[in-house]
Order: sequence, then structure tokens, then C-alpha cells
Amino acid sequence: MKTTVRYFASIVAALAALAPVYWLITISLKREVDQFAYPPRWIAFHATLQHYAEAFGGGSFAIYFLNSVALAGMSTLAALLIGVPAAYGLARFEWPRRWDQRVGDWILSTRMLPPIVTIVPLFLMLRGVGLINTLAGLAIVYTGFNLPFVVWMMRGFFDEVPREMEEAAMLDGDSRAGALLRIVLPLVKPGLAATAVFCLVFAWNEFLFALILTQTEAAMTLPVGIASRVTQYEIQWGAMSAAGVVAMLPVLVFASAAQKYLVRGLSLGAVKG
Amino acid sequence: MGLELDRVTKRFGGREVVSRVSLTGEDGEFVVLLGPSGCGKTTLLRMIAGLEAPDEGAIRLGGADITAKDARDRDLAMVFQSYALYPHMTVARNIGYPLRVRKHNAAEIARRVEDVAARLGLRKLLENFPRQLSGGERQRVALARAIVRRPRAFLMDEPLSNLDARLRVEMRAELKHLQHELAVVTVYVTHDQAEAMTLAHRIAVMRDGKIQQYDTPSNVYHRPANTFVAGFVGSPAMNLIEQGNRTLGVRPEDVELASFEQPGYTPARVWVTEEMGNETVVVLSAGDRQITARAPSGFRADFDSPAWFRFRAGREHWFDSSGQRIADPA
Repeated sequence: MKTTVRYFASIVAALAALAPVYWLITISLKREVDQFAYPPRWIAFHATLQHYAEAFGGGSFAIYFLNSVALAGMSTLAALLIGVPAAYGLARFEWPRRWDQRVGDWILSTRMLPPIVTIVPLFLMLRGVGLINTLAGLAIVYTGFNLPFVVWMMRGFFDEVPREMEEAAMLDGDSRAGALLRIVLPLVKPGLAATAVFCLVFAWNEFLFALILTQTEAAMTLPVGIASRVTQYEIQWGAMSAAGVVAMLPVLVFASAAQKYLVRGLSLGAVKG
Repeated sequence: MGLELDRVTKRFGGREVVSRVSLTGEDGEFVVLLGPSGCGKTTLLRMIAGLEAPDEGAIRLGGADITAKDARDRDLAMVFQSYALYPHMTVARNIGYPLRVRKHNAAEIARRVEDVAARLGLRKLLENFPRQLSGGERQRVALARAIVRRPRAFLMDEPLSNLDARLRVEMRAELKHLQHELAVVTVYVTHDQAEAMTLAHRIAVMRDGKIQQYDTPSNVYHRPANTFVAGFVGSPAMNLIEQGNRTLGVRPEDVELASFEQPGYTPARVWVTEEMGNETVVVLSAGDRQITARAPSGFRADFDSPAWFRFRAGREHWFDSSGQRIADPA
């Protein structure tokens, strides 16, 4: 009885979660006449790939896609390259007068203000250095937003690794950097993977900054590109859905590849061992 | 020209955890730092290792001052209480790690890992991961990693405390033999006085960051420098009885028992007896104090039964009001 209820509840939840995805996929495959047919055509419709051809054939969505890949990759890499050593430093070194705590809190505090209030200053700064409408400019902004997250996540993971691991490595003749690379990082790999996935997903889905800071076709990202199909005269549901489906794929692939790590990474420290 | 500590001091937040500790360990000597938890023995070991920097004093190894050197440049090997094996590496890679970071070539690393593994009975386990090993096996891997290169000193931080009692005694003997073969100055930290007595050439008994006595196990046992050492070393502990402004110390084996009244004996009652197999520990209550005695294994006595005792002549230790040994008891 209890099991039945549980199954029923999980099926309802799964349906609720997957229905929009299903709707998105079917819209991307439907001809325009079928898209808003009433009653809705859930299964029986004439499938077509014309929207995919529309969206990616002309080239613009392909550019947005590559832009998003480059942007997510660059900003994630940069956030990890800067954030991981910072997290390690905060986790391992005691600074006088508890400054390690204070610096940590200060880093976290940068996440506390609503992102929208930084738009205008960011716009002015990027314009000042000529990085407006460039992927590099946007990558810097994303890196900045992901950094506190990386520092706080990784600091927690580093705290879980016994100090004796590095001490043993250093007595064995390794430098601290060597111990970090060869001993500590392999041990926090699940945490590292989980952190990287979150950074990637943030950069991949981000809309607000991309919309304001990049207005040219050459630097447009997928979310903005998709939204740009809502025009003054028509809404290109088919092309938008096709692009939306494609936009989901990398995240799905990456998340399922890292799933093993994600679960372990997120529960690391919650349960020992 | 072994290891030399010269007035080494360490403070944590204004509190002195190690105070002006000086001691030397000759080449090949087995030095044990013995003391209760919080006495500063581990901090002292970590300063020798280069994991903590002393606030004052100097540490010399082979005549050269290493006080300011990084841990990696001191050429020491350390065995940690937790073993600190690298969980993501096989036994072979764990043991070979000190050689790999020193950029020895692969063939030589393989040969030396093989040698050490054979010596410590680890050959069948080389491809296993630490999580697949028992406590005793992990302990051996940690030792193997320490001896795979020839360091100038071994440091050991309670390496046996995570093993069960039987294995601990086994490993203790093995460790002693190994240290003898390698003949490298070894500093070993423990709170277990039996380990200290059995392993050490010399024991440094520590309390509150200070060395109370640094001497051979025999002298520490038979001529304790003060009441702390007297009470800490030996099991069961020495009887310490205050008499006026002095303290009388008598080891349990120097308490003679009688089950009937005899001249020179003091009456008491049996508080408890502990049968050990090879002997029986008898705790008597005499007035408001307890006296511990060692009796032969056949000794039997009921709770609260009467018993008589006396202290064996010439085996008393005397300490003054500050607890220091009085060489010539008056």
C-alpha cells in the first residue's frame, strides 16, 4: 500500500517535471499548424525537422551554440583555476587575527546582493575597457559570479581531507603544490566535478547579463539567441523549441557523465567514507 | 652527531606548549617521547619534522642547523598515527611515492619497492588499495613508505595506537628489530609507558611542555627524577605516600604481603584483587590511602579480608616537597 502511494507520487512528480520537456520536444518537431491545434496533439502529429534546419541551417543558432560552449568552458575553467587555489589557501592556512574567516565571509558576501544592481556598473566598466559585446567580457563577468561559489564549495571539500595527507607528502619530499596536485586534488575529485558542473550550468543558462552585455550577433549566447526569436511580428515557436532542445543536450550529457561524482560530491562530508 | 634539540620553545596563542626543550639523539638511537596527552610531545615531534616552526631554539641534524628548512628538505621520514596512506594509490604507488617525487628512475623505484615489500611481508598486497587492507597491513605500508629511502631520521607519532592489543605487541617487537637493522636515529611519540620502556634506548618523559627526565628506561624506572615520572612510568603505578613535607614512593613489587600479623608489618584490608595470570595485583586499603602490591599468581584473598604489608627495605624512593627526587634520604 505504502509502496503504491510512493510510486504514484513519484510518477506524478516525474510527469510534472518532464511534461514541459516533452512539450518542448514535440513543438520542435511539429509543423506550425499542429503547434497550437485544439485539442492538443500529444502524440499523433506529422513530424518534421524543418525547425532544426531553420534554426541551425541559417548559421545564427550554430554561432550562438558555439559562443555558449566557449563562454561556459572559459568561465568555468577560469573560475576553477582561480577559485581552487584560493579555497585551498583559506582551508589550510591560518591567517593572523582570523583573517581567513573574514576573507571567506567577504567572498561569500559578494553573492548576497541581487545581480541586477551590478548591471550598470559592469556595463560601464566593460565599455570602458572595450569588452562590451565580446565573449571575453562576458566570460570575466561569469567568472566573477562563479568564483565565490567555487571558493566556498571547494573550501568545504578541502576541509574534509586530513591535513596529515599533505604533511606526509611533504615529508616524503614533495612541495606543497605537488602535494595539492598529486594527493589532495585527486581526493576531492568528486567535489571538483560537482563544482564544475554547477559553474557550467550557470554560464550555460545565464540570460540577464548576456542580454545586456552582448548585443551583437557575433557574441550572442544561446539563451539570448532563443529569446530573440520573439519578434515584434511573430514568435518563432518551432525554431525556438528546436534550439531549446539542442541547448539542453550538453547539460544532459555532462551531468549524466558526472552523475556519479555529483552525488558523491554533494554528499561529501555529510556521510563519512 | 645525530639529532640535537637546543632549547626549543613553541607557543600557541601565548601559551607555551613546549618550553626550552633540549635533548640529543645519537646516530642509531631510539628516543621515545613519553607523556600524557597535551604534554607537548606531538608538537615537539612536528617541530623536528618541520611541520611546525619553533618560536625559539634550534634543531640540528648531523651537525647542520635545520630549524629553518622546509619539511621536504630535511630528509626525514614520518609515520603518522592515522598512517596517512594515500587512498587513491595502490600499496606499490604509496611505497614508491617518496622515490617518485625525488625523480628516481622507474626501474630503481620498482626494485626498491619490491625489496621493502618483501622485508615487511607486503609482496602479495602491492596492487591493493589502502581501503582493502587491515589495520596491521596499513601500518606496515606506512612503515614501508618511511624506510623505502634511507632518511636521516625516523619520526613516529603513536604509530601503534590504532592496532588491537595483540597486534600492537607484535608490531612493537618488529619495529624495534627494524630500527636496530636500519640504525637510524628514531624519535617515537607515545603515551603508553610499556611501549616506551620496551622500545627506547632513552626515554624523555614530558609534562606541560617540559622534559621531566631524559634517561634510559632502567634509570627512568628505578631512579625517577620526580613524583610525576614515578607515577607515570610503571604499571601498576608506584605508590606515592605523603609523609610530612616529603613523599615516599614504593613500587608495587616492593610491597611485601602477609596474610597474618607479623612484626614490622602494617595491618590493612584487601580492597580488590586483580588476577593477571602470571601475577595478582592486590589493592589494599590502609587507613585513608590505598596501597598497590604485586603478589604471585596463586595469591587469593576475599574482599575486605585482613592483610598485612611492609615496604621492602632499601627500595624506597624519596621526593621533596616540590616533588624532586632526594638523592640521599634522611
